[in-house]
Amino acid sequence: MTDTTAVLGYAWPLVVSPGEEVAFHLSSATLGGAEATLLRVRCADPDPDGPGLRFEQPGCPVDGPVALRNQPLRPGSCAIVPDAPALNRAGSLSVGCFLFPTAPLAGPQTIISRWREDTGEGWRLGLDAEGHLEFTVGGTGRQWRAAAQLPLIEREWAFVSATLDAEAGKISIAQISLDPQAGRDSSGMAEGEGPRGLTWPEATALVIAAHALEAGDVPRTAGHFDGKIDRPRLYGAALDAVSLRALAETVTPAPADPALIAAWDFSRDIPTGTVRDLSANRLDGTLRQLPMRAVTGANWDGRTVQWTEAPELYGAIHFHSDDMHDAGWSPDLRLIIPEDWRSGFYALRLRAREGSDDPVESFVAFFVRPPLGRPRSKLAFVASTATFLAYANSALRLDQVHAEAMLEGVITLSRDDVYLQEHRELGLSTYDTHSDGSGWCYSSAKRPILNMRPRGATFNYGNDTHIIDWLEQIGQDHDIIADDDIHRHGAQALAPYRCVITGSHPEYFSRQMIEAFDSYQRGGGRHMYLGGNGFYWRIGWHPAQPHTMEIRRGMNGLRTWEGEAGENALSFTGEPSGLWRSNGRPPQRLVGVGFDAQVFTRSYPYRWLEAARDPRIAWAVEGLDLDAPLGNFGLRGGGAAGLEVDRVEPTLGSPPHLLWLATADRLDYGGVPTLEELRTLHRGTMGDQNAQVRADIAFFPTARGGAVFSTGSIAWACALSCSGYDNSVSRLTGNVLRRFLDPTPFGGFASPVEARRRAIRHLP
Amino acid sequence: MLVNDPEAAHWPIDPDRLDLVEEFRARPRGPHSDELRKLLHRMRWSGVGRRHVLIVLEPNRRWMLGRMPGRRGAPIETFPNRIFTNLAEAEWAVFAMRWEALTGQKIEDAESKPE
Repeated sequence: MTDTTAVLGYAWPLVVSPGEEVAFHLSSATLGGAEATLLRVRCADPDPDGPGLRFEQPGCPVDGPVALRNQPLRPGSCAIVPDAPALNRAGSLSVGCFLFPTAPLAGPQTIISRWREDTGEGWRLGLDAEGHLEFTVGGTGRQWRAAAQLPLIEREWAFVSATLDAEAGKISIAQISLDPQAGRDSSGMAEGEGPRGLTWPEATALVIAAHALEAGDVPRTAGHFDGKIDRPRLYGAALDAVSLRALAETVTPAPADPALIAAWDFSRDIPTGTVRDLSANRLDGTLRQLPMRAVTGANWDGRTVQWTEAPELYGAIHFHSDDMHDAGWSPDLRLIIPEDWRSGFYALRLRAREGSDDPVESFVAFFVRPPLGRPRSKLAFVASTATFLAYANSALRLDQVHAEAMLEGVITLSRDDVYLQEHRELGLSTYDTHSDGSGWCYSSAKRPILNMRPRGATFNYGNDTHIIDWLEQIGQDHDIIADDDIHRHGAQALAPYRCVITGSHPEYFSRQMIEAFDSYQRGGGRHMYLGGNGFYWRIGWHPAQPHTMEIRRGMNGLRTWEGEAGENALSFTGEPSGLWRSNGRPPQRLVGVGFDAQVFTRSYPYRWLEAARDPRIAWAVEGLDLDAPLGNFGLRGGGAAGLEVDRVEPTLGSPPHLLWLATADRLDYGGVPTLEELRTLHRGTMGDQNAQVRADIAFFPTARGGAVFSTGSIAWACALSCSGYDNSVSRLTGNVLRRFLDPTPFGGFASPVEARRRAIRHLP
Repeated sequence: MLVNDPEAAHWPIDPDRLDLVEEFRARPRGPHSDELRKLLHRMRWSGVGRRHVLIVLEPNRRWMLGRMPGRRGAPIETFPNRIFTNLAEAEWAVFAMRWEALTGQKIEDAESKPE
């Protein structure tokens, strides 16, 4: 059994051009070194029934031994406000905020603090192990503590506060439940003895949602809080809870109040990593590990579900103790990509303990694309990096109740999965829930990603390399372009190519990406979509942080967690998220077919439809027997139509000129329609009774000689290599690719209206 | 917050329906009759206690039985003596354990594997 996790790493940036530098950030808790080899990936799927792992070794300076060190991961988000004179005022102090704890029994947590754990000095408002609000003040070798009698209730808003009255030598806490009826009231107060005079620790950061382990402006942190914090206030006098709450209720407190130390407004600069202080002290802070912004505050009343329309209702941040955006590892190897390297899926292979019972072979993936505007081929294959990120470190099969029922069999786990079960600090995918049960809405590539590399789980990355393997097999040169580039540069990233292939499951698209493909197709581009469930979710990319995406799943679509009410607009962009189908751009409009069902029992062949005999498409079916099943073989379930499948639907935008070439519409009881395909509930919706549960193959011409060919199935790519690449799936794909690379326009598709217009134009 | 309840599957299992056991043994990977599908859903939704899983030893060739710990971060229990060389055999082994857990009755000749 090969050890795939003894050394892990990430490449930064994830996508590079020749001439640019990529750095490999590596860590091992057990190995002192490994043998590094840089590889271009042809096939990343180790299944011995398929092509197997296949690489090219271009040879480069990083090949050879590399020393390794242990670089820990420190998950958990918080806001850090560096030390400032205003924080060091002597005397009384009050602190308060609205609080929505999501895991109050998960262990002691800090809400807001100016505390050093190493010396036990400062002050700290938090929850104890049983969810009771507690306020601790420490200094001169002593600590004072006050704690509430009733614990806070999970997922219920409360106003919480604490006061140090230095003149009276007392500390007190108060909590006020915002919905105090029907058993939800946990309101109460408590007080205790406090210090009369105390000097605060020097050079200590104020931390929101955690506390500092040490001095300095960039301390390590602990005690991370799970839940939402809204409108925290810090005041340089002993205020009672009612006055303090009034100060927090005010969205814009008077900045000139000389006792107001800080009043943070998290509704400002939501797309950024900065938290703004409205006080005259300007104690702005920096967010660490990307907590969730654009979440409803305690004052959200449902009058809008779009944070951009009333940001003052979105003054909360949802912090998670397991948020992970940036591993922060130092680089161990650097490489400038040689100018003559082909673009492609690349990986750094790390081997150790070779020849032992437990050899190590681990990969760190990255992508090489040609420089913008300098294509090296007429064909581009898209690296679906948005989708790879959405699935990055998916623990769905480890954590989710439905996984075994959905996948129709005992769950099989790779060594990567076994590692992830124990190492949640890697950060999970947007399919997973945080430890407090809320959905992961962000994913970044600045951390090791176990399922975006050779040998990893085959879904997405591994399946897509079957298309690369097939292109290599037929000797077809191609460039790789990544979703990141299509988002950033738009249509000009696609425009140089006569044909662009999207892979087995290009599921996640920003508005800019969809528009780039739309523009490409309208400008005469040819698009081959060799997958299923593509162009499905609407995402955003971080405006400043590279390789960082966001999804809000909302309440529609095949979703492994449901978005909370009012929290389904993207914090990165302010746009709505959810399904493209719900955003006016169903996949059928772009590629003729759109997601309709899953089928994990087995995969199926297609049968040809009458349109396949249309002379206008004769070039596609050349050499194919239209009376025989198409794709009754494949590495995923024994067929080319399976896993997730798409169908033609004119009412959702499949165009009038579309030729519906083939269908797999007998998917039996294992064909389960996606939720948005059902308007009402009734029996008879599964594939054995419902012809709308199916995979369709479609072709249509677009403007200026462009065209689209779609196969509507994730399993398609994994049927290409069967029978030594000599099979009907390979032949059809090859026929279409050859024709799509030929610039001759597709004739015979003029509509009656166009034909008449042309006839009139040619009248003498 | 919408969550999936692991206890939600409640189709009643009749310990006398050994015909369903034999149907599964004959065809662990399906297709299955309507009633066997209901039995499998009952088993697969909750996992029947701590969920049994397979750990890949060699891709698509060899698997080891494992069992989920029931909480995040804890190690997966492994059974190095229970190695399978095809998935149908593994499905049958897990089915037999779940049948016994749900009905209190051991399947006789459970070692007799599917073909």
